[in-house]
Amino acid sequence: MIVAKRKPFKEIKESVSGANKILILGCGTCVAVCLAGGEKEVAILASQLRMALQLENQNVHIDELTIERQCDREFIEQINTSVNVDDYDLILSTACAAGVQLLSDVFDHKVVVPGLNTTFIGVAEGPGVWTERCRACSDCVLADTGGICPVTICAKGLLNGPCGGARNGKCEVDPEKDCAWVLIYNRLEKLGRLDKMKKIHAPKRYSVQEHPATIIHEAYKHRYTV
Amino acid sequence: MGQSFEEALTSGKFLIVTSLDPPKGTDLEGIAGVIGKLKGVVNALGVYDNPRALMYMSPWAICRLVIEQGVEPIMHVTCRDRNRLALQSDLLAAASIGIKNILCVSGDHVMFGDHVDAKPVHDIDSVHLLSAAKALSEGNDMAGNPLKGSPAFCLGATANPEANPLEPQLIKVDKKIQVGASFLITQPVFNMDNLKRFVDHVKESKVKVIAGIDLLVPEEVPKYRDGSYPGLFVPENLLEEIAGADIEKCVNVAGDLIKQIKSANLCDGIHISAPGHEEKIPDILKAGGL
Repeated sequence: MIVAKRKPFKEIKESVSGANKILILGCGTCVAVCLAGGEKEVAILASQLRMALQLENQNVHIDELTIERQCDREFIEQINTSVNVDDYDLILSTACAAGVQLLSDVFDHKVVVPGLNTTFIGVAEGPGVWTERCRACSDCVLADTGGICPVTICAKGLLNGPCGGARNGKCEVDPEKDCAWVLIYNRLEKLGRLDKMKKIHAPKRYSVQEHPATIIHEAYKHRYTV
Repeated sequence: MGQSFEEALTSGKFLIVTSLDPPKGTDLEGIAGVIGKLKGVVNALGVYDNPRALMYMSPWAICRLVIEQGVEPIMHVTCRDRNRLALQSDLLAAASIGIKNILCVSGDHVMFGDHVDAKPVHDIDSVHLLSAAKALSEGNDMAGNPLKGSPAFCLGATANPEANPLEPQLIKVDKKIQVGASFLITQPVFNMDNLKRFVDHVKESKVKVIAGIDLLVPEEVPKYRDGSYPGLFVPENLLEEIAGADIEKCVNVAGDLIKQIKSANLCDGIHISAPGHEEKIPDILKAGGL
């Protein structure tokens, strides 16, 4: 899932300054799971903003709404069944940056600002802990690396083994983090597949990373091609 | 012209190499003086490429100065700061000004340096860089396009015999040898058993092993201990010995390591790293019995 964290409150407050009526719009999918931008976090942010603005004697009206997903037009278009978007000067979105952008596209006459910094594609390790697992490189090497991604887990994204800096199996960058290539070595050894590590991996093909990327499913191509 | 570094590598002679930080700025006077003092002392003089991710002058310019002073350079090339186009361009540029020896490294992470917000490039890794330099020597770029005039590089790589665990390092070093490294300069070594284990692994190949010797100094002990120097793993007992020692004692510690390497006939040469204390290199060699 997409993992995000809330922007510093000061930055959020500055980004909404000048607006008299604000809609804080949460997202009920990834950012709700990672406790950054779901219904509860929207409520906390709204209370915090109301208090901070009241302390400055600013008369700002703040409403809250959380929809299922902000990365899907179908859900965004339903917002007007709950609120009238045109009633607001500004929408403060607590979706990931993809959601913020789609929201801006759909309501392109409205100021939309982000409440979160989108950080990574990752997994939930346990309550309140998420770790990055994928850089979306479009050229997955996990079959050869024991299911551990060197592009993501290695601080240098090295493809052919560790640098010389790992100390007692920990990364030179952060002694709290395991060296990706030590993890890969241990996993492949356990699986009896160390031959995979001995293979020379060619340089990454950045040509397969289209930016901005678009994928159209085969079954839907007829809809979008002339 | 005497024996080249490449010829010396195969001569069986015990090689002495050191590397210098390029200047931070355009003043070449200081480094020119250091190069002059090391002439005749070392078989080749390496020039670091933004070592520890600190921004310095590009090493090719200093390698040119090294050549002008009659010493053979080894240009360090890091994958951290340039993509594959820039790396190959720089390799061709280096060849055009007479640089033959190239040391291909991944590069310390940018967080250790003085531009912590820089993007770590790592478009290719050190295995790829060796492979690319080899391809250039054979007349083609990485994409297979033919070159009009090709370099004749003598390629080197790095490895860390003190790594724990060592096995992943060994797998990587095998790849470096496979793609064209003819010499290895190791990270600083302290434990002869670790060095022997490493050398035993690579001895079937023709690769020459140049062991890293660091001049440890007391003012840097906290940084050695806290991991500020990536790849430098100094045993605690040595740190205690160095803390509070005078420079002569430090020189003798480095000299003792050289003696151990020499007496066990463990490798083909040494690479002395003594940043800021290069004037002590002749004394270190003397203390090491060289």
